[in-house]
Amino acid sequence: MNSFFTIEGILYFGAISLSIIGLFGLLVSKNLFRMLLSLVLFEAGANLVLVLSGFIRNGIAPIFLDGNSGAVMNDPVPQALVLTAIVIGVGVQALALSLIFRVKKHYGSMDMRTIRSKLEREIATQAGVTPPGSNEAPAPVKLVKGEAHE
Amino acid sequence: MNSLVLLVVLPLFAAFIIPVVAKFSPKLSLFTGPVVLCINLLLIMSAWIKVGSGSEAIFLGGFLPPVGIVFYIDHFSLLFSGLIAGMVLIVWPWDAKESRLYSLYMLLSAASFGLVLSADLFNLYVFYELLAVATYGIIAASPISKVPNSSATAASLRYLFISSAGSVMLLLGIAIIYTLTGTLNIAHLATMTTSLDGFAGLSAFALIAIGAGVKAEMFPVNSWVAEVYGTIPRQLSALLAGLVSKLAVILIIRMLLMVFQQQAAFDLLLVVGMLGVISGEMVAWRAKDMIRMLSFSSIAQLGLIFIAFSIAGSKGLWIGMALMLHHLLVKGGLFLMADRFAGHMGKLKGLAKHSPMAAAVFLVFVLSLLGVPPFPGFWIKLLLILNLAEQGGGLYHVAIATILLATVIETAYIFKFVRILYQKADADSTPINKNYSSSYTFAKLFALILLVSMLFVSPISNHLKDIANHSASPHIYINKILPTKQLGDRS
Repeated sequence: MNSFFTIEGILYFGAISLSIIGLFGLLVSKNLFRMLLSLVLFEAGANLVLVLSGFIRNGIAPIFLDGNSGAVMNDPVPQALVLTAIVIGVGVQALALSLIFRVKKHYGSMDMRTIRSKLEREIATQAGVTPPGSNEAPAPVKLVKGEAHE
Repeated sequence: MNSLVLLVVLPLFAAFIIPVVAKFSPKLSLFTGPVVLCINLLLIMSAWIKVGSGSEAIFLGGFLPPVGIVFYIDHFSLLFSGLIAGMVLIVWPWDAKESRLYSLYMLLSAASFGLVLSADLFNLYVFYELLAVATYGIIAASPISKVPNSSATAASLRYLFISSAGSVMLLLGIAIIYTLTGTLNIAHLATMTTSLDGFAGLSAFALIAIGAGVKAEMFPVNSWVAEVYGTIPRQLSALLAGLVSKLAVILIIRMLLMVFQQQAAFDLLLVVGMLGVISGEMVAWRAKDMIRMLSFSSIAQLGLIFIAFSIAGSKGLWIGMALMLHHLLVKGGLFLMADRFAGHMGKLKGLAKHSPMAAAVFLVFVLSLLGVPPFPGFWIKLLLILNLAEQGGGLYHVAIATILLATVIETAYIFKFVRILYQKADADSTPINKNYSSSYTFAKLFALILLVSMLFVSPISNHLKDIANHSASPHIYINKILPTKQLGDRS
């Protein structure tokens, strides 16, 4: 990796950019499903970095090595690790999807801000406190029948 | 010694067998978990005696490191294993309606034991992720009666997003370490710290610290705390704030003590610790109900622990360990007894008259939390400040000022609260929650332990110092896990 424009440099750049895009999306987007997709991207980026750590140009899989050919092999350990990480990731994403489904069913919204404010109100009511920031908050707008919901 | 593998295996096995057992006999499935935890406690006690003042390494499956996976056992890891078993037993959901919840608790304890014992970085990641998944499930499955089911789900979902992002950061940090060194065995890493000196190594540590910091309520990534603790039963909050946060701290300090003994890493912990202390105390000061106050005070206490670990070497571990145990006892106890209190501060007027015992127990906890002289909390805070003063450098002295300022804020809001307890009851005060659960008894037990430990401050502190001296030494760690002949073979 003495020069940036080697194949490794480009791959590393791509993997790290992917994870930065994912993290950025997670911070910026408000839609639950988009947040989940950002998480998927973030995870994919991290997995790529992990699998790249064992990558050697022109290396071959160790199983095809006959032992004395002198060929370089790719490190098999990160490949095993990344498999585990992918499986864990899939599990967490499935769990997140099912939770999103239930949240959407109850709150009727996919918007994180709406859900968060409703959640805070519920917690405050349960504790017997006026919801935080309610003095300054604008009065709730009542929907007139016939008006668009969105 | 190999029987200690059962600490992880038994709960894991129980987690998957409980749903099957529940089909035939719900009663039996209820008792499987506590029985397993009691067996684990016995195993831990026998190992505690066998290990003595030394340590042991267990090579799983007979594969030697750095290829094989290792469990490292000393008094530090055994102490926290014992605390896991005890704490899960205390908060065991006896009145849960579904057996699936028992499975999740078993999964949580299996992951926790693994997290404390393992000496392999990727193994730690897997156990951390397992712990996280079990926690999401438990949070979503056990809402308190007063809020709708779905708010626990929403809190769990928000927690999931933050915590999974943290796990991915942890993974990224591990990937960077593997790229730089080619190994994930912590002892092996400890022998090649020089290759982790640069910017890349430090960024790996930062990623690991912030990634695991999500669970440890670290400063920038703790927005889940109030929401989650507000929607789950108090006993569960006691478990999460008291114990699970400490496990994440243990992950971070393992890396810090063994691999990243460098000033930049200490500074990072010091800064996030100070920010956590100040921000936590500020929000707690404004809180109007007890749970919110406790949640944010817990963030502040974790910040204090991070400050302690920024002191290099075994001293940091010594003070940090004392702080962790103290916080576990105090915050665990406070959350456990929160069940007895009605919640909103205004309603708590006259509590001392209704139940002088509850008010007294509360006072014992908060006085120790503040660090009022005879209580253990005072000695720990004194020790922390003295040792911070010994360190050179302005940042450490800023930390002292921060701690003192935070103590002032803490005193302000806690005594505001205490004053309410001792006021005369008025019309709308309903201080006592009549149908509280058994956890209040455990809170009293915690207070008793705290009072008794007051008498034995110096032996306890000496013992902790011995444990810290042993556990903070990379030499012993490397010698046990990678005996020198092996190192010779490899190089």
